[in-house]
Amino acid sequence: MNNAKADIILKTRGLKETYMQGKVPVHALQGVDMEVKRGELISIVGPSGSGKSTLLSIIGMLEIPTEGEVFIDGVEVTGVKVKDIPRLRREKIGFVFQHFNLLPALTALGNVEIAMRFARVPKKERIRRATEVLTEMGLGERLNHKPSELSGGEQQRVSIARALANKPSIILADEPTGEVDTRTRDLIVGILRRLSDGGQTVIIVTHDVWVAERTDRIIRLVDGKVEDS
Amino acid sequence: MLDIILRNLSQRKVRTGLTVFGIALGIFAVIVMGSMSENFNQTFETSFSLTADKIRVFGSSGVFGGSVTTGKAAEVRKVPGVKDAYGLLMAPLEEGGAMSFGGNQIVGLPPEKSQTVLGPVKVKQGRFLMRGDRYETMIGTSIATQYNIGVGDRIEIRDKYFTVVGLLEYTGSFFDATAAVPLDSAQDVYDMGDMVSMIFVIPDDGVDGDLLARRIKLSVEGVDTLSPSELEKEARQSLMIFSVITVSAAVLAAIIGGLSVMNTMLMSVMERTKEFGILKAMGAERRDILIMTVGEAAIMGLLGGLLGLACGWVVVYGMNLWLAEKGIVLFLITYRLVAIAMLFAILLGTLSGIYPALRASRMSPMEALRYE
Repeated sequence: MNNAKADIILKTRGLKETYMQGKVPVHALQGVDMEVKRGELISIVGPSGSGKSTLLSIIGMLEIPTEGEVFIDGVEVTGVKVKDIPRLRREKIGFVFQHFNLLPALTALGNVEIAMRFARVPKKERIRRATEVLTEMGLGERLNHKPSELSGGEQQRVSIARALANKPSIILADEPTGEVDTRTRDLIVGILRRLSDGGQTVIIVTHDVWVAERTDRIIRLVDGKVEDS
Repeated sequence: MLDIILRNLSQRKVRTGLTVFGIALGIFAVIVMGSMSENFNQTFETSFSLTADKIRVFGSSGVFGGSVTTGKAAEVRKVPGVKDAYGLLMAPLEEGGAMSFGGNQIVGLPPEKSQTVLGPVKVKQGRFLMRGDRYETMIGTSIATQYNIGVGDRIEIRDKYFTVVGLLEYTGSFFDATAAVPLDSAQDVYDMGDMVSMIFVIPDDGVDGDLLARRIKLSVEGVDTLSPSELEKEARQSLMIFSVITVSAAVLAAIIGGLSVMNTMLMSVMERTKEFGILKAMGAERRDILIMTVGEAAIMGLLGGLLGLACGWVVVYGMNLWLAEKGIVLFLITYRLVAIAMLFAILLGTLSGIYPALRASRMSPMEALRYE
């Protein structure tokens, strides 16, 4: 199904998400329509509880919306069978988390390489690719270091390398600079900008105005709706 | 995937070690109890195969009661289909001992028939008993070891000294624990008069043992018979009960080990909730999580099985060495037992890991990622 224009990599239509908090229904998203072009670096901002992370989870296929559709690369990912979701997630999405979420027992190389295992990439290729992306992130000398031996900035760069490992269509970054100092924040934003300039689509959820101002476009969410800017 | 599984297990060394130890204890019990059962089974199989075609005739008042006389053998011999029949007196060798499977026993038999009765067993040293022998004996390997005697030595049986003239080869049957003596001497030392424990009947070639046993029972007054198939059935029932008791105890121990695997895996899955969320966010499929989690449980089962097997083997080997001095063989580790124990260990680990694995694989990735 191809309902998207060629240069539109992500499109959401009437996205709604309602969940129950006890007996009270919470309308996290109330009809979100948005489009993102290939290679765009955009930020989603908004106050706490505005639905930013929920929107990111739905785009990342971690949650199924109550209503509405998500198209990635022309594929309606909200309409596929549950068993196909992990494959689509591998192909289309790379996640960068605020708390890095690296596996503590694995080295930097292992953390990046493991992402490709689930795509059944041969071991030799996995190692080659993981080494390549980590080197691109300036971590060529830190391949065999475990997360506990890396600084916050280095950990986040491993996390970005992991997100890039399977060459996804979109990188979703949830508060990627929330845990790092300003110098590292600049570095992370610089990397994401460089990726975008290279054609990689990046969507950042952030509270940080400084970060948002350095993206191509800002989408502001208020009470589960996109606010006209 | 194996490297991830091993890495996960090595991350929690103490817990993994304790769980493996739990399974090992269970498998240790399976090996020790099972090897005892295997030994009894093999002894029975060998014993039975060596005397499978013979019929036992007892006095109708009881088995092993000595309530049949030597004279009855002459009557039995006249029954068509009987090739030969003679009395045997069986009694515990040691004073105060009881007739039991595996215990030392004397068998009083007509000396000239010793080759027929003991014939399936080869003579390792010396000779069979012969007509004219009185206080001579042939002994099995267990008795030779236990009493530290050989051909030419003497053994005291109820205040009488018997000279060992023959040493039987090891068979793994009750013959190993048998001292064969002339029937007259046995009746004397046990003060049995003309009584024998049973009449041992050898059928003519081609004669059906079960039919002949029935014919003897109908033709000779005051006797009961035990045909080869009846003997096998009775013995197998006893063995079955023994096996069920020993193996059940062992299996119970192993199941407790299995529960410890399940407990460990449930805790591990709960602690790693976030990790599963990360893996799913990276595109891990349900089967990846299942294989990973069940794999960990199966490897713990395998390690527990190997450890239990090794410990069981050491203990059984040591016990057999120690018991060998007393002329007793109590344990036998067979390939079958090893295969069953290992299969059981892996299966136990795997099955115990399925429920925790299902829980892990069914987690919502979003909820798992939010888990603290």
